[in-house]
Amino acid sequence: MAFKICLWLSLRCQLCIAVVLFFAEPAAAWWMWTPGDTVDNVGYKPKQPIAFSHQLHSEEHKIQCEYCHAGARRSPVAGIPPLNTCMGCHKFVATAKDPIKFIAARYQANQPIKWTKVHDLPDFVRFSHQVHGLAKISCQECHGKVEKMGVAVQKAPLQMGWCVDCHRQKKASIACLTCHY
Amino acid sequence: MPQNQRYSLADDVCADVAASPETEKNTKAALGRRDFLKYFSAGVALASSSCVRRPAEHAIPYVDQPVDQVPGVATYYATTCSGCASGCGINVKTRAGRPVKIEGNPDHRSTGGALCPLGQAALQGLYHPERRPQPLVRRGDQLGEVSWDDVYLHLSSRLNTNKVGIFTGGTTGHRAEFLQEFLQKLGAPRENLYRYEPNLLYAHVADAHQRAFGRYVIPRCDFTAAELIVGIGSDFLDQGLARVAYAKNFSAARDLNREHPAQLVQLESTLSLTGARADERIVIAPGTEIDVALALAQALYRQPQAQGGVAERQKIAALLQQHQVALAPDLQQHIATLAVQLVQKPSVVLCGGSHTFDANAAALQQIAIAINILCGAYENALSVQRGWQIPPVGSDDLQRFSRDVAQLDVLFVIDSDPLFTLPAAFGWAEKIKNVKHVISMQAFPVATDSLATHVLPVHHFLEAWGDAQTHAGQWTTQQPVVRPLTDSRQAEDVLLWLLATVKKPLPYADYRSYLRQRWQAWHDLQGDGKDFAKFYHTTLTRGTFTHQKQQARRELRAFEVKVQQVPAGLKLTAPLDNRLHDGRGAHLPVLQEVGDSLTTIAWDTWVALSIKTAARLGLRRNDVLQLKTASGVLRAALFPLPGLHDDAVVVPRGNGHRHGFSKVTDGIGVDPLVVCAVAEGLPLTAALPVTLTRTGKTYRLAAMQKENKLGDRGDIVKSLSLAQLRQHQNKVRDLDAVPDLYPKLEEGEHRWGLSVDLHKCIGCSACMVACAQENNVPQVGRSQVAMGREMHWIRLDRYFSGDADKPRVTMQPMMCQQCNHAPCEAVCPVYATTHDAEGINAMTYNRCVGTRYCANACPYKVRRFNWWTHKWNVIDAKDYNRNPRALNPDVTVRTRGVMEKCNFCYQRIRDGKHQAKMAGRAVQDGEIKTACQETCPADAITFGNLLDAGSKITQQRRDYRAYLALGGYPDIKEYGLKTLPNVSYLAEVTLQEEGSDEHG
Repeated sequence: MAFKICLWLSLRCQLCIAVVLFFAEPAAAWWMWTPGDTVDNVGYKPKQPIAFSHQLHSEEHKIQCEYCHAGARRSPVAGIPPLNTCMGCHKFVATAKDPIKFIAARYQANQPIKWTKVHDLPDFVRFSHQVHGLAKISCQECHGKVEKMGVAVQKAPLQMGWCVDCHRQKKASIACLTCHY
Repeated sequence: MPQNQRYSLADDVCADVAASPETEKNTKAALGRRDFLKYFSAGVALASSSCVRRPAEHAIPYVDQPVDQVPGVATYYATTCSGCASGCGINVKTRAGRPVKIEGNPDHRSTGGALCPLGQAALQGLYHPERRPQPLVRRGDQLGEVSWDDVYLHLSSRLNTNKVGIFTGGTTGHRAEFLQEFLQKLGAPRENLYRYEPNLLYAHVADAHQRAFGRYVIPRCDFTAAELIVGIGSDFLDQGLARVAYAKNFSAARDLNREHPAQLVQLESTLSLTGARADERIVIAPGTEIDVALALAQALYRQPQAQGGVAERQKIAALLQQHQVALAPDLQQHIATLAVQLVQKPSVVLCGGSHTFDANAAALQQIAIAINILCGAYENALSVQRGWQIPPVGSDDLQRFSRDVAQLDVLFVIDSDPLFTLPAAFGWAEKIKNVKHVISMQAFPVATDSLATHVLPVHHFLEAWGDAQTHAGQWTTQQPVVRPLTDSRQAEDVLLWLLATVKKPLPYADYRSYLRQRWQAWHDLQGDGKDFAKFYHTTLTRGTFTHQKQQARRELRAFEVKVQQVPAGLKLTAPLDNRLHDGRGAHLPVLQEVGDSLTTIAWDTWVALSIKTAARLGLRRNDVLQLKTASGVLRAALFPLPGLHDDAVVVPRGNGHRHGFSKVTDGIGVDPLVVCAVAEGLPLTAALPVTLTRTGKTYRLAAMQKENKLGDRGDIVKSLSLAQLRQHQNKVRDLDAVPDLYPKLEEGEHRWGLSVDLHKCIGCSACMVACAQENNVPQVGRSQVAMGREMHWIRLDRYFSGDADKPRVTMQPMMCQQCNHAPCEAVCPVYATTHDAEGINAMTYNRCVGTRYCANACPYKVRRFNWWTHKWNVIDAKDYNRNPRALNPDVTVRTRGVMEKCNFCYQRIRDGKHQAKMAGRAVQDGEIKTACQETCPADAITFGNLLDAGSKITQQRRDYRAYLALGGYPDIKEYGLKTLPNVSYLAEVTLQEEGSDEHG
């Protein structure tokens, strides 16, 4: 009896489940196959809290990358500068502009800014800026000509094939454990 | 099965359509495989046609980055572990202000960078989701949440009394002094501070020394000055007086490079880790430890070479005349032989432990003193003049408490759980009935809270200030390593504020400034009198402060020993558990899951009986027994354990919490203290007459090791005698000279190797906890463990060999052997596991599709499969929001369907290599340490580069004792599996003189 009810239920619901599966699956696929392998994200330019211009800071005002991304030399992560780095200059510079007012207000209120990561590797990849810096890889090789950019945009695909190509050329290790552990 | 419901197919595929239980059922019933595939592929087409990007990740930088913080780089803080009263120095690794790993502090002299499981697991205690968010005040039957201001207001009107007491755990630093100052300020006597440690050994040993020498101290024990160590029911490697320090020292004493490695002879009724490690183990009846000690003292006294001055000998003679003992002739013979050896060699005798807390426990320590005087241990292996151990408790605290409690109006219970850790027969609940206000100040909810009028959440020790003086002149400092995670307060600060509210303030702003003032005294001892701020900073950074402290030995006073006879028959012993201690570790899943080292049971309480007794009573493993003593009744499942005396019934403490404060402990195990007794105000937890009845039910204990014997395989665990070793000591082995047809291995800059010394391993399972914390290894819960799905990357295999009455116990830490010819690599269809040029068998999680072929191929069974996504919020079927902030950010968190295993802590290797590269040099030997090696209290694990001819690991791999697990018998050109692991083992060496064992 129970079996019959089950069978009846299953027939009735089949269509409805099919519809659900059809639409829900892209979402599931999104999670299961991180599209790093198929979609390279080149040109990814997420909206940021303020339209920070690298061109203005880096090219026009000749500020070195590592002045703000100070972790690049000392840490696996280059880091986004803390607000006190911004305020080091902007306490005095361009204080009347809207974006500066915004960061000054955040700084006063002791509230951090939530940036959206542009260059985002999957969680199972381990990458160290420190070691790549030591190997004299310039920032531009992976990040493109950031000094020409307004809001940061992804230039390189950051896919495994792209990483491995460079590792091969430079005779760096291509063992799995180099990046995956 | 509840898991099936939660992780149904529908749930995972239709991640967003949170399916109700009905929908799930329907999905499963409705969809045939073909239909499913049909819809599925249609969905895939849709997915790939639209441009999708994984969800945006955010980066939130600091507002004001502290100068000492670099995001992505760990900061270490030195502090003190308050897990037990040993006060080990620890270094806490923090990332962006969050502690992620606890390690021993190498600057701490007695522990040298090692740490026990309980200390390491404290991290889970810190992030525990069930810590109280705010204070509670009792209104009628209920405890209601209030604010801290209300608490002060509420309590200030009730503190205008001098009938105040403080009940707390063992403490050795300035804390006790501070608490006494607090009591004094309120007009209460300083004696109203009651310190209780369930490990009664501290009080018993110190008390005996008080009686014998007039000094309330615990002698410092140095095994390296001894060639023979005799334990009578001793548990110095289990809990003892200072677990890590003793293990470290014991390991040094057993080093085979010494001319005479210290030999351990243990006489005990139960099987302890100490006994398991003994070279010779003599099984005695439970409760007869005192008789054995007396017989040994007598035998020693009769030895012509026995030590001790004339006056001392007279007093000992008087003691021995009072107490005559009759033991079985063969035991008497053993003791006579031991006595001869004891006077011939430098030796030390350690008596008692949590397996012997019977009516004679205090007397046993006095006899131990007599024995050690006779074998000349004082000021040799034992020292009460220099570096003695500070007793963390007073001599009669518990008795004083029982006497005074009726007069108290206010009782503070700080970081102690007397309701759970004292036997039910003690009647704590009865005793405090007339105390008007019981203020329970705990870092984690405990049973005592249920009787309190006020429950105040205080800091976990990683959030608090403090210090400890484990040995005379050897201090460790304690500083917060993280901002308080809940709205808790430092216990001492609460007391200071309370004093301020009742207008009797102490002249300290907070406990931190109180400590700062006290530490000024250290500066006066050591500093140049100037710049205290600098001294303060360097001492905090280092975490330890040491100065010389000496005292003269006093004359021996007369002994007063009363011995009570214990009737024969089955006797219950409830020792402290090796992981959970008295239950203070029970809420930490990692401790529950590493399992007991000897039974390998996780998440349960068991009754251990000897194999013979179980057979005599017709009982089998997992039979539920009813234990009845004069105090009560208890039910637990049976685990027959070799090596127990036939009269011994052992039930470990630690589990059986019934107050529902933690989902982790809910319904786990039973508490043997309900059937334990009390005598002269002290808990009796050993040698209690007990009767067993069969209930007819069975309960499947989650024992992880299914096979306990080695069978006829002699190449898993090898052992040889000291004589054999000495004969071949200079012989160099080449374990890699295995003839095979494989192509030559690609050679990198390094070849990483690891060696485990089975002679030193004491089976404490600290490595397992270290590994779990370092590598984000999840805990899966009881039901999964019972199915063999535990995730340990390193496990502790335990083998019994020889006679069931007198087994040889061998502990073997087993992790991925990193085979050079790995069977797992050959079978992986997707190259998810490959061989690294540096000798590591690499596991690439993101390639793994979960065929589990590798796990089937692995002869060592060290590969672990993620049957579920252990989402860090589920254990078993219980929702349990384990805080993912405790995860190590350097290690990938694995998901369902992925195989995982030990990779020699590759993140540490990477880090070490990067550091060396940055400094422009090669990696130095000993620079990179795996998590298990770093924490090992016995120094049993060595890691390093096998291509470096001078490295310690290369020496160990060439040692005559070295062998490969399942590597056959190279001596007779039999090479076993030829997997050629990079992990090698060093054979166990039996230091027993007579009768040499077989060599594999």
